[in-house]
Amino acid sequence: MSVASTQAHPAGAATAGGLGVRGSRGPRRDRRFKPFGPSPLLIAFVVVPLLIESVAVFWPAIQGVYISLTHWNGVNPPTFAGLDNYRRMFDDPVFRKALENTAIWLVLFGTVSAAGGLGCAMFLQRERRGIAVYRAALFLPVVFSLTATALMWQTLYQPRGLANGLLSAIGLGSWQHAWLADPRTALYAQILPALWREIGYVMVLYLAGLKGIDPALHEAAKVDGASAWQQFRNVTLPQLRSVNAVVLSVIVIDSLRSFDVVWSLTQGGPYNSSQLLSTYMYQTAFVNTDFGYGCALAVVIFVLAFGVIVSYLIRAFKETD
Amino acid sequence: MSRFEPSRRGFLAGMGALGAGVALGGCATATTPSGGAAQKGGAVTLQSDLSSPLAEKAMKSLVAAYNKQSTYTVKLNTVAATTYQPLLPTYLTSANPPDIYTWYAGSDANHYSARGLLLDVSKVWSSLGNYPTALKTLSTDASGKQIFVPTDYYWWGVFYRKSQFKKWGLSEPTTWAEFLKVCQTIKAKGVIPIGLGAGTGTAWVASAWFDYFDIRINGAEYHRGLLAGQHKFTDPQVVKVFDAWKQVLPYFDPNGTAVSWQEASNQLLQGETGMLLTGTFFADAVPAGSLDDLDFFKFPVLDPSVPDVEEAPTDGLFASSHTGNSAAVMDFMSWMTTPTAQNMWTQTSSGTVIPANPQATSPATPLVQKGKAMLAAAADLTQFFNRDSTDALQNTADTALVDFIQNPGRLDSILSTWQSQAEKVWNS
Repeated sequence: MSVASTQAHPAGAATAGGLGVRGSRGPRRDRRFKPFGPSPLLIAFVVVPLLIESVAVFWPAIQGVYISLTHWNGVNPPTFAGLDNYRRMFDDPVFRKALENTAIWLVLFGTVSAAGGLGCAMFLQRERRGIAVYRAALFLPVVFSLTATALMWQTLYQPRGLANGLLSAIGLGSWQHAWLADPRTALYAQILPALWREIGYVMVLYLAGLKGIDPALHEAAKVDGASAWQQFRNVTLPQLRSVNAVVLSVIVIDSLRSFDVVWSLTQGGPYNSSQLLSTYMYQTAFVNTDFGYGCALAVVIFVLAFGVIVSYLIRAFKETD
Repeated sequence: MSRFEPSRRGFLAGMGALGAGVALGGCATATTPSGGAAQKGGAVTLQSDLSSPLAEKAMKSLVAAYNKQSTYTVKLNTVAATTYQPLLPTYLTSANPPDIYTWYAGSDANHYSARGLLLDVSKVWSSLGNYPTALKTLSTDASGKQIFVPTDYYWWGVFYRKSQFKKWGLSEPTTWAEFLKVCQTIKAKGVIPIGLGAGTGTAWVASAWFDYFDIRINGAEYHRGLLAGQHKFTDPQVVKVFDAWKQVLPYFDPNGTAVSWQEASNQLLQGETGMLLTGTFFADAVPAGSLDDLDFFKFPVLDPSVPDVEEAPTDGLFASSHTGNSAAVMDFMSWMTTPTAQNMWTQTSSGTVIPANPQATSPATPLVQKGKAMLAAAADLTQFFNRDSTDALQNTADTALVDFIQNPGRLDSILSTWQSQAEKVWNS
């Protein structure tokens, strides 16, 4: 498989790809169709995770919704406030800014990481000598903790950091900037480190998806005289539909919970200009200890994430039906 | 021992809920031995946010020294400073709370005391006759009982390098006019006169300037009232604060809101900036040799009719009113006030703090002696913006002050936004 023979000898590639698919999917299928009835072990496998999930996830989530309906500073007993916290959002300029920034983040971060991830995957899908090095290099940022990543980028963005140094070296000294301190650039300067990480992750998802496409489809398209673009548009993309659903969920969730980068770099500043819903929620709940409003913000984030993903999934399922 | 230690940046970002859960679990298990009625002996937990390596080490040796000579046992539980602050209310209100806490005196302690969460430690104070009255007042809550035991305090000042000032032919300014002249001279030498460091997570340092302008122009009473919501940030008195600030703004580092406070202290040490208004905790990171070249002067006087007030953040201990072993708690707190314990602390930690017990030996460095003399001469002491109010109000200040430094022309709208944000904090 090391020779660039995929196109010249599609049959060989098909065997290799086919093997790969069988190798990874086989065992899972076997397990699913085990013919035994519900054994105690099986019940334990369902009940134990359910219990853990209930205690560790569902119960705190329900409690979070309850707290969002109260005024609570963590010290006094919470007092029921109805929808006060939600009403407060309407005339909270910081909330509006955070919502706007989150939308910008979602769109920019989402499209660039999906397009970039798919692009890298297309580029790196063919087996060539040393291709693994490139894949590993692109995936490497995913391994770093985002806080560490942020610290690294912070040094780059320093007024006398590498970013400004580079600009002056190529004669763009006038573009030099205090990237993180200027409210006009702070948000965008922070999307970059997040993208740097996310693209590698999305690439791996798409690489897996591309591997799963039956090469015979491309072969057939080529025999029919389809151009590279037509193949991409009419074979690759439709075949990636299931991966797209995963990628979209991952991107939406990741962008709504994007927190580490912003909190480490600017804490939503300067003067709230790069505040995201997630950082605003954290600040409200854990710095200002206004847990009621903080939980209300968390509920909004949850509804947004859940809404986007569910609506996509519904549409995706409708299409498959 | 600042609540805003440099390590603030090293926090476990994003893990708010998770971190809370883990830390909470840790504290719950840590407190189990403290249950049971007051008896001779037994263990209590000391919850500490002194998580920087130097401070944690100093605290460990203190606790070990106490345990060696006492029938009680204290267990130290160090929590990262950034996790500690949001969790403190949870610790105090939990069913089985840790017994003793490192924290600071002032508004925050009173807030917990008003809800009956803090142990009355007046008994400890009965043996502290030699403590300054100012510290006792600071440790007394609204109902008149003592709820806090100070261990040490430090000061803020305008720090500079002696060799640089000598080179520029400058001496320490005492009045506002002299200070402006010093700024002009330094600028003429091609050096940035005033470093700031209000970027990346340390925007709070800008409030030192606000605090000092306010206590120099409007006095300590007005300042405390303002932070408590009795005055408005849109008041003409507050506008006067910013008018004075505008006069020195041209001498501030243009990247002052972009670089972090750590970077700003480096700039001072490397001679890239002339002066830096900072607390003594910055000396923690100063290489031993450079410390001798550092000196400071008192924030210049703007209005001679206003008595001199200085910022002197005080650190110490308070305890939970739900402790199962108050005898042990009191015993440990009393021990922490002894000169022996306080000497140990000042020797093992960075050595730029002043022990609260006047009988303890302060570090003999000229810097500490000068700081101690400055505070002793002050008519009144304030803590710091967040310590005199809340961390929530500190947030509103960070937003307003960084905005002002970048856009001094928008002062009116900045102040009205600040007021409306602050009202939300006061009313919540």
